[in-house]
Amino acid sequence: MAKGRIDLLQGTLDLMILKTLSWGPMHGYAVARWLQQVTDDVLRVEEGTLYPALHRLEELEWVESEWGVSENNRRAKFYRLTGAGRAQLRASLSDWSRLVETVGKVIGATARPASGVAV
Amino acid sequence: MTPPAWRRYIRFWGEDVRADVDDELAFHIEMRTRDNVAAGMTPDEARAEALGRFGDVGGIAGECRTIDDRVQRRRRRVELVDTVLQDVRYAARSLARSTGFTAAAVLTLALGIGATTAIFSVVHGVLLRPLPYPESERIVRAWQVNAEGNRGNVSDANFADLRAGSRSFSALAEMALSTAVSVTGGDEPVRVPQARVSREFIAVMGVQPARGRAFLPEEQQLGGPPAVLVSHDFWTRHLGGGSDAIGRTLTFGDRAHTVVGVMPRGFDYPAGAQLWVPREIDPLNTSRTAHNFQMVGRLADGVSIAQARADLGAVARRVKQELGDATWMVDADVASLRDELVGGVRPALLVLLGASAVLLVIACANVANLLLAKAATRQRELAVRRALGAGVGRLVQQFLVEALVLSLAAGALGVVLAAWGVRLLVALEPGNVPRLGEIGVSGMGLAFALGVAAATAVVLGLVTATRGSDDDLRASLAEGQRSSSGGVSSQRTRSALVVVQMAMTLVLLVGAGLLARSFLRLLAVDPGYRTDGALVLDVALPWPEDDAAGRRQVALYDELRSRLRALPGVRAVGGINALPLVWGNYSDGTFLILTRADEMGDIRDIREAIPLFEQLRRDESRIGQASYRVAGPGYFEAMEIPLVRGRLFEDRDGYDAPHVAVISETLARTRWPNEDPIGKVIQYGNMDGDLRAFTIVGVVGDVREASLTAEPQPVFYASYRQRPSGASRFNFVVQRAGDPAALAAPAREIVRSLAPDVPPRIRTLDEIVARSIADRRFSLVLLGAFGSAALLLAIVGVYGVISYLVTQREREIGIRIALGARTADVRRLVVGQALRTAAIGVGAGVIVALAATRLLERQLYGVRPSDPVTFMAIVSLLLAIALAAAWLPARRAARTDPSSVLRQA
Repeated sequence: MAKGRIDLLQGTLDLMILKTLSWGPMHGYAVARWLQQVTDDVLRVEEGTLYPALHRLEELEWVESEWGVSENNRRAKFYRLTGAGRAQLRASLSDWSRLVETVGKVIGATARPASGVAV
Repeated sequence: MTPPAWRRYIRFWGEDVRADVDDELAFHIEMRTRDNVAAGMTPDEARAEALGRFGDVGGIAGECRTIDDRVQRRRRRVELVDTVLQDVRYAARSLARSTGFTAAAVLTLALGIGATTAIFSVVHGVLLRPLPYPESERIVRAWQVNAEGNRGNVSDANFADLRAGSRSFSALAEMALSTAVSVTGGDEPVRVPQARVSREFIAVMGVQPARGRAFLPEEQQLGGPPAVLVSHDFWTRHLGGGSDAIGRTLTFGDRAHTVVGVMPRGFDYPAGAQLWVPREIDPLNTSRTAHNFQMVGRLADGVSIAQARADLGAVARRVKQELGDATWMVDADVASLRDELVGGVRPALLVLLGASAVLLVIACANVANLLLAKAATRQRELAVRRALGAGVGRLVQQFLVEALVLSLAAGALGVVLAAWGVRLLVALEPGNVPRLGEIGVSGMGLAFALGVAAATAVVLGLVTATRGSDDDLRASLAEGQRSSSGGVSSQRTRSALVVVQMAMTLVLLVGAGLLARSFLRLLAVDPGYRTDGALVLDVALPWPEDDAAGRRQVALYDELRSRLRALPGVRAVGGINALPLVWGNYSDGTFLILTRADEMGDIRDIREAIPLFEQLRRDESRIGQASYRVAGPGYFEAMEIPLVRGRLFEDRDGYDAPHVAVISETLARTRWPNEDPIGKVIQYGNMDGDLRAFTIVGVVGDVREASLTAEPQPVFYASYRQRPSGASRFNFVVQRAGDPAALAAPAREIVRSLAPDVPPRIRTLDEIVARSIADRRFSLVLLGAFGSAALLLAIVGVYGVISYLVTQREREIGIRIALGARTADVRRLVVGQALRTAAIGVGAGVIVALAATRLLERQLYGVRPSDPVTFMAIVSLLLAIALAAAWLPARRAARTDPSSVLRQA
């Protein structure tokens, strides 16, 4: 994989995980399923890559984990947002919106640049 | 929202990262498989699809584990810091609560740490620190060695041969220190030590003058312009400390010297020298046996001391082979300058360092006892914490932290005590300890104190943790309410600590006792003269170059004597060139016994007489050995040295009268065992170049000259009125009825009026004697102080443990009383236990002391290291102390009210 794509993907994945967990504590599979549902399966990520991301977020203390019991009575590791994670989510969301807005302006522009070098 | 801190730790004992990650991933795949099956796939398809969607399971698990390991390591660190901080806060709070305990423990430890640090600072400053010269480890002293194997000074000729023949030195110099010359030309006349140094001296030391310049070649030759280098101290004190000092003229030794340079601050070699002048300005002495110079050298690159010794020795043996009897030099020796400077005080300082370490051990034992007592009162707290799941490691950590807090506080206080102690040590004037002026508690001393404090903390923490927690925990949980203190093992530990304390205290006290006894012996030594009631005026004149100068010196001394004699209360005044117990200026040599006064014929020049000397001294019956002193009329009276036979110097023994001599009893007894020495004619011109013969007229009592402990040596006394050239340095002794110090001011005034350029040094004879044993007093005072401190701590230790044991046995004692034990029985019970503990300690101490006091052997006088009187006295003292310390608790035990104790059960 090219280097540029990983970074973009990773940052985006982090944001999506944080956003997902903002609904409440979930285990990893629930996060995967939820992402799948809201994106209508459009976003095909290898599901495994979710876990290093979760552990990294835990290292950053944006999420914390606890072993609990799943809906079908299995031992599962539940993640939830910490205070720092919530703050990070807010910052990332506003960054994301600005990025989307800015990129949108460029892409949606109708006028040609005012001055430029003649070709 | 941050979760409470403790939640972070819950899972971390025994968490298994590997299994957790595997579980987590397996759960995911299992869930996906289930969902797939629910969606209609066969189980196999479902699982394959789940795995495919997941990706590389192994790789992802590895990635997760790496992250988790990192997280866990960080959390453990944070946790350790957290708990240590928690423990520190807890320790500080609990120490602050029990003020009495804390004060006692901190003071006790500070005493030990302070004493050890102070002595270490002295040891470091004196023994370990390099000399303040570049590559100082290459600077060496060198000696010629005589047939008896003794190191000695060199003569000019021997030095020249050694220097020319050896290849091991980049520079080799000879030098001679005069302990006093009178100097004018500075801001006022002063007397200071002066060194005459040969050409390569500056190269040997590797230090250039800080101001001005070193000697020029033309200043380092016979008859060259007299030049002088001055010390930094002399420059600031007597030359105003300005740049105009260079070029000023200083007159001493009948020469006007130009100041050419100022040596840097801290340059102090030979020790005490304030002025350095070129040796070459005076003619070389052709005598092979005029051993007037010390040798210093700088080893050439890559040459070891052993190599230099072998090289120089080979040269010496070659010279001996060529010259035969003409030289006494048969070999040579080389040693490091630093070892040579400080070697003499090393054993004494190391003994003191050891003693201070022993004191520290005693202090530690005491504090360990206090900590154990304190731990005993915390049994229930510890038991509860243990029951709640605190690990042993965690509890040990807490004890360590507590001991560390205590020790660091003690260390801080100890450093203050040490700084104060070092000043006290220096003020005590240990006498012969070199480099003392440079000493303070240095960075090295601070580091040492910190190290000692930390080591102390570890020892204390481990002792209390191992002895104060485990057994006691079990015991207190089992015993429940009834017991307020520790189990059997803790009791045994505390008794063992008292045993250690008693033993170590005994070692210190025996050491101090031995030193005290030998000091008393020393004070009781009869030096052969009266030491009280006499004032000494030490004057230094230029060496009289000719007959006229000699006569002027005689006239000056005669006048000084009669003026001093006229002071109120003065009984006798005399003088001598080298006073007993004052180092330096001593000379000795071989004299010839003549058959008649004119046996040497008309020879007046010593150089012409040398062949005759050499010829006569081959005959054993014609020669003798003695110390050569120049005294004069009044000296023996003023010192109260008794006349044994014949007569003393009298007024008729003037400059032009026949030369007479007085000898000591030992010389008379050893040289003329079966004859009367009076009337013997002696040729001793080799001492001062004057070939007029002496006639022995009297025999006087022996005097201890070199030290109070050294046996009297044979002495030959001439008179300053006939042999002035040996008396340019002279000590007037003024004996009076009352306090001699009262004479100091008028005596100084008399010298000023007669010889304004000769500032005298004035001391009492008592001070001189005291100074000569100052090093012994120093060791005695320190060891005595350590011993007393140890004794105090031992009393506290015994008292503490016995009171504790009494509390322990309260019930038993109550029952005994209820069953009819009498007060005396109970007392005997308690005191007996104390004495048993003390006796074990004392016994162990005696064994250790018998080995340890051998280190003191060299510092003892008239007392053997195993002196039974000292041992008995100290043993009785310690047992008596133990008895006394046990008495109060014993009385308390005897008053135990049986009913109240029994009711508690």
